[in-house]
Amino acid sequence: MLTVLFIVMGVLILALGVVMMIGNRRINESGVRSFRRHIDALSPEARREVHDRVRAQRDKKEGR
Amino acid sequence: MARDLAIDLGTANTLVYMKGKGIVLNEPSVIALNRQTGEVLATGREAWQMIGRTPGYIVAVRPLRGGAITDFEITERMIRLLLQRVGVSRFTRPKVVICVPSAITEVERRAVTDAARRAGAADAQLIEQPMAAAIGADLPIDEPVGNMVIDIGGGTSETAVISLGGIVALEAVRVGSFDIDAAIQAYVRREHGIAIGERTAEEVKMAIGSAAPTEDESQAEVRGRDLMTGLPKTVILTPEEIRFAIEDVVSSIIASVVRCLAKAPPELAQDFLVRGMYLVGGGGLLRGLAQRIERETQVPVKMSNMPLEAVVLGAGHCIEHYDALKNMFMGARR
Ligand SMILES: Nc1ncnc2c1ncn2[C@@H]1O[C@H](COP(=O)(O)OP(=O)(O)O)[C@@H](O)[C@H]1O
Ligand SMILES: [Mg+2]
Repeated sequence: MLTVLFIVMGVLILALGVVMMIGNRRINESGVRSFRRHIDALSPEARREVHDRVRAQRDKKEGR
Repeated sequence: MARDLAIDLGTANTLVYMKGKGIVLNEPSVIALNRQTGEVLATGREAWQMIGRTPGYIVAVRPLRGGAITDFEITERMIRLLLQRVGVSRFTRPKVVICVPSAITEVERRAVTDAARRAGAADAQLIEQPMAAAIGADLPIDEPVGNMVIDIGGGTSETAVISLGGIVALEAVRVGSFDIDAAIQAYVRREHGIAIGERTAEEVKMAIGSAAPTEDESQAEVRGRDLMTGLPKTVILTPEEIRFAIEDVVSSIIASVVRCLAKAPPELAQDFLVRGMYLVGGGGLLRGLAQRIERETQVPVKMSNMPLEAVVLGAGHCIEHYDALKNMFMGARR
């Protein structure tokens, strides 16, 4: 009876550990992904849109 | 639905960028009030024209003048009026990203975001000025290299080292181009015995002010009030004497740049020697300043393409990529 209880408890602890590990990995992965997204959003290509828009605006104003 | 906004709430000038549209407002950060009733009489350029020319019952003030919020109520009203003017109301509820001097306190920050929310913003986030300036100045801040940006505004000078999308070192002082104006005012009063206004001092700075000798220098004629007789009087100012008058301010700005360089990790310091540092902000346009900084730091100094717009451009980029850049907002790092 007692051995069964121990086995059940052991399995439970193991399962908990696995769940925590997976959770952890997911958090880490989301860290990697959001960091990439952050860095990519700061790339010169990503920034060109705003620059071009404002430069065009300025050139138009100066041209007048 | 109103479009989302990015605001550069500068000590001297306020700029607003509208998502998908571009810069929709660019004017002095000045507000004119009726001293008795507290009513707002004018904002922006109109209020700026009143500085030093108001009758007793009107005051024209720059609420962010020293890079700190001296009067919360006035600042709040300025932000509300600003948002109203670009079409924000309780029904449109845009997201707003605001750039503030990095020296402002937690309480001041909250006052700014609260004011924006009360004026109708669905969400208001703050971003550090030098970070926005670096994005706007087109520096390769997405790479693991040291990028240095110096933003000299009216009331503040901020120098930052940025790498991999974040601030590595920051040095902000409450000294800026307004202090140069004040130094010119004080000098003319002391040495020539005439009183001149803040705006006249600014004109002198722009006309003949410099941080180091330059080619083709000329003199300037300035009109003021004779302190002895009380009558209008004209004097001639030379570039040398203006350089002398503003030297203390110039050297304290340069000292803050040096302090920031000293804070940077050595690996990044090497990068500056190759890449140089970038100068933005109206105060950076002072003649000879870039050369002076270069000489005293031994690091090349470059002028950014759009020095006056760099900050709002960077903030504009953040509003265009709001979700991806979320963790750059000041509240996110606590
Ligand atoms: N050509 C110039 N030479 C010297 N100073 C200048 C020049 N143009 C603007 N300034 C100064 O720059 C300051 C405004 O710069 P700005 O970057 O708009 O300030 P802030 O970001 O604090 O609002 C003002 O004090 C103005 O006198
Ligand atoms: Mg500025």
